[in-house]
Amino acid sequence: FPGAGGGNDIQWCFSQVKGAVDDDVAEADIISTVEFNHSGELLATGDKGGRVVIFQQEQENKTQSHSRGEYNVYSTFQSHEPEFDYLKSLEIEEKINKIRWLPQKNAAQFLLSTNDKTIKLWKISERDKRPEGYNLKEEDGRYRDPTTVTTLRVPVFRPMDLMVEASPRRIFANAHTYHINSISINSDYETYLSADDLRINLWHLEITDRSFNIVDIKPANMEELTEVITAAEFHPNSCNTFVYSSSKGTIRLCDMRAAALCDRHSKLFEEPEDPSNRSFFSEIISSISDVKFSHSGRYMMTRDYLSVKIWDLNMENRPVETYQVHEYLRSKLCSLYENDCIFDKFECCWNGTDIVMTGSYNNFFRMFDRNTKRDITLEASRENNKPRTVLKPRKVCASGKRKKDEISVDSLDFNKKILHTAWHPKENIIAVATTNNLYIFQDKMN
Amino acid sequence: MLGRGLKRKLSDYEENMADLSSAFDSSRHLPYLLKRQLVLNMCLTKLQTYKMLVEPNLHRSVLIANTVRQIQEEMRQESNLQPVAACPGIAPSSNSYTGAESSWMSLQLPSGISQQESNYFELRSVEDPIENSLLIVSDDDMSSAISSILKDLDFVEDISPPTSLVPTGDDQLKFPENTSLKLEDDRQDLKGAECVFGSFEISNSTSYLKDLAIDDIFEDIDTSMYDSDFCCPPLMPPRPQSLATEEPLKTFPSCNSSSASNICRPDLSELDHIMEILVGS
Repeated sequence: FPGAGGGNDIQWCFSQVKGAVDDDVAEADIISTVEFNHSGELLATGDKGGRVVIFQQEQENKTQSHSRGEYNVYSTFQSHEPEFDYLKSLEIEEKINKIRWLPQKNAAQFLLSTNDKTIKLWKISERDKRPEGYNLKEEDGRYRDPTTVTTLRVPVFRPMDLMVEASPRRIFANAHTYHINSISINSDYETYLSADDLRINLWHLEITDRSFNIVDIKPANMEELTEVITAAEFHPNSCNTFVYSSSKGTIRLCDMRAAALCDRHSKLFEEPEDPSNRSFFSEIISSISDVKFSHSGRYMMTRDYLSVKIWDLNMENRPVETYQVHEYLRSKLCSLYENDCIFDKFECCWNGTDIVMTGSYNNFFRMFDRNTKRDITLEASRENNKPRTVLKPRKVCASGKRKKDEISVDSLDFNKKILHTAWHPKENIIAVATTNNLYIFQDKMN
Repeated sequence: MLGRGLKRKLSDYEENMADLSSAFDSSRHLPYLLKRQLVLNMCLTKLQTYKMLVEPNLHRSVLIANTVRQIQEEMRQESNLQPVAACPGIAPSSNSYTGAESSWMSLQLPSGISQQESNYFELRSVEDPIENSLLIVSDDDMSSAISSILKDLDFVEDISPPTSLVPTGDDQLKFPENTSLKLEDDRQDLKGAECVFGSFEISNSTSYLKDLAIDDIFEDIDTSMYDSDFCCPPLMPPRPQSLATEEPLKTFPSCNSSSASNICRPDLSELDHIMEILVGS
């Protein structure tokens, strides 16, 4: 990675912002997931209205060497519609919870998108040519009278304006009683897992009418329920290994070769509680909202309410590193509990192995460099952001005298939360989602 | 989006809660017991609100229920350490409280109180009748409240094998699939739930939380079915208490006692919804 660990801190610049400018946020426009594809050329977002918008990076312009290609809308489609479960009198939300891309095998692109109950495999393909010169059809599609045909010709392909089409190729439904929170594609590229609050299912991408249940933590008696599954992911290299995190702050690593039902974990990652930080809210803030493997698969990262933890898969009893995202909120937990912010589920992402990123409130997001141990707070905002201007680091003043340019904890806007961020797989380009806008930042190229 | 559930109607309540929460956060000197009380109130209120939703969030409900259990466990341990009987000779055990708090408690004794009573009140805070009544309410009741909420989640969420559904003689009524899975425990759970929430409807609150209009919190909860002698739930939109017990019988004469036990189901919002469809309102 250019700039990573090389002693030069990355200087982040504003590149683009997508979405409505109004302060009045339409609920359907709330961004609920962001994901780059494997090459980084495509960037997908899902929203609360069930739509998927895919942006494509322009091919690099050799004359404009000071910036990388811009992302422009490539395809927009309605992935999920609201449904009503008549049997239980329940509405099923169309909000897209997660998008995961498949690696590209041919000219078309494939992604999985999921709402609370149903996963869909979408094929996105381009059409830039069309056949012309049929013998029996006119150009507008009307059929010709065969008796008027005097000569035969071979139809030829002629270029047309690029059309990008999205079509649903598989629908994986009726396998989840509870709300799906994660999907993860296996490194074999044939199977994937889907996790809800209490169960994890294994699917084959070709088979929609059945799935294998590989984890089930539902107790016989629901009254005994004390823990739910919050996230799950396959190991990037080892196709029999996956992890899932829980609301009690634990991560379990399971090996599918051990048993058909992986209720017994191979490893249990849990950090003992720090007694000096104990409060009524200790358990709630220990709930893990996201888990992500590093690209190598040697480490995994978890996000709980106040921190990001890096775990070495070989060490179960504590994380190797812990980074405080917004420790100044620890003294505000009761208020955050009262207004439900304490339940916000922040995601996190890697740039490979060295730098991790996660969101916070007030449209702030944070990055931690594992090598230099430096961290930075940046803001996603339309103000003062001209293309290629370097972002100014932000600082929150926890208590005491507020310095110039610092913002005090009480001035933070808790409605402006950055829950979803993504890092380009190969370059220093990041996508940061505020409530209804998508920001793209890239490092300063000299 | 279609109706997601009930909104809290009381913005005053919300403001009060926000003030109390920030008091919790900012004050270092707020006694531990009151902090705990506040958190417990917030938890139970949230659980109650979730119970009214068509589809409560399982993750949040579990986290909140665990917090309640944790507080409950702490209280149980404290009450085990402290003898409840008001014997004049018994000195209050200060094991469970910090020195500062027990001195706070003794400072709060109103003057003129008799020696016997004062010993009793040394065991509990005079200013905190809510907590007193919580200690009096059994753990079973609180557990039942949590249990009933989690059971409801099971009812709402999970696909279970269908069992006998429709009450005899009335094909038009279509109840949710798992209605008949509701067993006898429900009545006990309801009583438990009622006991816990009943204890909060204390009008003589002189505690720190007196700004909080506790009665108002539960104003819009229809408790008519808890009062009803019949197991049959009101099969129509919530009405004032006095009417609810009579009307079910009027509208569904075919509803006999055996079928009534099948439909004894505390989820009013679900039945309301069905009724609205049937009545076409």
